[in-house]
Amino acid sequence: MKKRWFGYGAWLLLAACLYFFENNTGTRVVLLCTLLLPFVPPVRRAFFSPDESRKDETRESLTVRTFERREPEDSGDVRRYVPGDSVRRIHWKLSAKKDELLVRETAAGEAVCGQEKNVTRVDAGRKRKVSRQLAAAFAAGILLCALLLLLIPEARHSMQGLLNRVFSASEAVNSYVYSRFAVPENQSVLPAAILLLCACMLLLGITLVLGSRLTALGIMAVCVLFQVYFGLAFPSWVNILLGILFAGWNLRRPVRRKELAAFGAFILLVTLMTVIFLPGVNADTEAASEKVRDRLTQMAEQITGTVPESPAGETETRHIHTRSLENGDREAETEQEFRLVTVEEEQISMPHWINWVKMILLLLLSVLVVALPFTPFLLLNARKKKARENRKAFVSENVSEGIRAIFGQIVVWLETVHPGAENLLFRDRAGVLPEDLPEGYAERFARCAADFEEATYSLHPMPEEKRREVMDLLKETETALWNHSNRRQRFYLKYWMCLHE
Amino acid sequence: MREQLENVIAEVEKVIAGKRKVIEKILTALLAEGHILLDDVPGVGKTTLAVALSRAVGLSFRRVQFTPDVLPSDLMGFSVYNRESGTFVYQPGALIGTNLLLGDEINRASSKTQSALLEAMEERQVTVDGQTYSLASPFLVIATENSVGTAGTQFLPYAQMDRFLVRLSLGYPDYEAQMKMLRDRRERNPMEEVCCVLTREELQELQREVRSVTVKDAILDYVTRLTMASREHEAVEVGVSPRGALFMVRMAKAKAFLEGRDYVTGGDVQTVFGDVCAHRVLLKESAEETSVGRVLDELLKKTENPDRHGLFAGMKK
Repeated sequence: MKKRWFGYGAWLLLAACLYFFENNTGTRVVLLCTLLLPFVPPVRRAFFSPDESRKDETRESLTVRTFERREPEDSGDVRRYVPGDSVRRIHWKLSAKKDELLVRETAAGEAVCGQEKNVTRVDAGRKRKVSRQLAAAFAAGILLCALLLLLIPEARHSMQGLLNRVFSASEAVNSYVYSRFAVPENQSVLPAAILLLCACMLLLGITLVLGSRLTALGIMAVCVLFQVYFGLAFPSWVNILLGILFAGWNLRRPVRRKELAAFGAFILLVTLMTVIFLPGVNADTEAASEKVRDRLTQMAEQITGTVPESPAGETETRHIHTRSLENGDREAETEQEFRLVTVEEEQISMPHWINWVKMILLLLLSVLVVALPFTPFLLLNARKKKARENRKAFVSENVSEGIRAIFGQIVVWLETVHPGAENLLFRDRAGVLPEDLPEGYAERFARCAADFEEATYSLHPMPEEKRREVMDLLKETETALWNHSNRRQRFYLKYWMCLHE
Repeated sequence: MREQLENVIAEVEKVIAGKRKVIEKILTALLAEGHILLDDVPGVGKTTLAVALSRAVGLSFRRVQFTPDVLPSDLMGFSVYNRESGTFVYQPGALIGTNLLLGDEINRASSKTQSALLEAMEERQVTVDGQTYSLASPFLVIATENSVGTAGTQFLPYAQMDRFLVRLSLGYPDYEAQMKMLRDRRERNPMEEVCCVLTREELQELQREVRSVTVKDAILDYVTRLTMASREHEAVEVGVSPRGALFMVRMAKAKAFLEGRDYVTGGDVQTVFGDVCAHRVLLKESAEETSVGRVLDELLKKTENPDRHGLFAGMKK
């Protein structure tokens, strides 16, 4: 029920947004697609129909038996009983009503009663699931398109606008990267190619061994950066294909929805990365990217000192954000507007928000640097204080409380030195104690564990001797652990676990 | 363990060898006043076990072999017209006056019969023609379900499975046990040697004591966390119901009592968890590679036990 309203609400909102923002054919297609969404059966089932119906279906589909019985009509099908008629054809109900024996005329009313229909739909669930996934992917695609169109204003005007926007972004980042890492003139392509190949092999190996998508992403990034650095770019589709291949290899079957989402996000990231870092999105923009590469070479030369004059007449059509610092006077009237201007390329300036990011990072870093030397002391002091408070519970008035605190402390110490028995009951912990503890320790531990259980879970008053017994075990544990641990463990025990507090 | 209960187990073991654990579990369920679903292949001694138990505890025993044409009136009784007196006379059904009812192959009964039985199990009374008859006390149903040859059977719906306290399985005897069984039955029937070591009144007294076993909040917290975790597990479609949680506490109490304690520990909950919850958890269709048992084990492993709940808060590296 909830789901249906949510689905329709989102759908209406999306359609309304698109309607208000739409002013060209590009968006109208998306709007049309959006409007059609609830009529595509799998999408409707996934997002617009209530959840309960699905559950009921699967539950009932296991075994459905229907008992059918056809009652003969009152008068037409029956007649008086005459000797010789089969007793089985007597219509007992009507006979009782009419007080005379009546028999069925037709054979149809006979023995239909026991008929069983057995309906099993085993595969239905799986099929529905796959179609749900497809529907989810479809709807996500539409949503993404809509979101892109809404977020990037130029995209509303034309596809070219969207590409230009992406292109200018990639240009900015590219120029920044090239300005940071200037490519020497005499750089050979061969070592770069070898390195790239190595990176790819490494990526393949690690993704196969670790099965981690994050690693794949990291090395994919390295791979792309290499390409940028050495100016040896694969076409984008090769990069995207590589990404899909490596990440897709790790998809577990049957594919879960979460996994699919992660996979989608990964592909999106790789795509964005290649689109932003590497010039040339497709065949149409390949020519444009050629120009960029030329310009970048010029820039590199500019940076290294030799400043060639730009070829006459080489101008670039691109979007310029009018709200830049130089054009302050124009800011007021054309705020948040983008328009096409023809400018001669003189220099590439970084977007101004980079400065803000830098400042925030610097601030965080300085706070970290100032606070860092003090943190260990603060932490250790807090630990010490807490340990002392814990000790207070050892000698509390309530003996049960004391036993619980002491035994808990014993287990905490034991597990810091000998981890690996997570989530065992204390009673069962006695069976997996380390071997280097003194003779008879395990039995005492088991006895105290029983005392602990009684103290924790029963209402019995506990005698003082029991507390003393557990306290002895604590002391024994303390010495045993101290004697059997190495320097690193001792350091940890003393300062972090406050063994001798 | 209490001597009386030890005696009962010893008596039952005269006829069923090497199944001490299951006998203990059944006795625990009896103490917890819950019903048992036995899920097993034919011929491993389900009926023998039930008969021996009823003899050892001095309970009246009846057995109903369910088939598709057993009707609710067979269980609950019905009224017939007595021509001489001109009145309707109630003929009691199999449920009336029975302490221990063995419902064989309950999944073969039609759903109306199943629901009539389960209704009686829950309410411990039956109503026929507006007249309410209460069942004998204690009233324990041991229902069996064959896991083979399921053609033409009606599986117990999930809601009805939920009413059984535990689902157990007897399993085949090992070599020693089977040899002993064959040897014992060479010339005599050991069933005749089973004698009554616990009267019905004593059993009821024990059941009363079980009800007064201490359960602290820490244990209730553990049970709640376990059941919640079962509902949130990724492979689970339907998790443990609140009734399941209630039954778990009841079973844990009986378990603690059987061990001679008057308080429930985390270990008791862990011991009964699998038996109480196995039939209450429904896995998703997509979770083919896992089984209910594995999911429950995982839950036990993942959920922090009450002994150490909160112990390591802020302690780990």
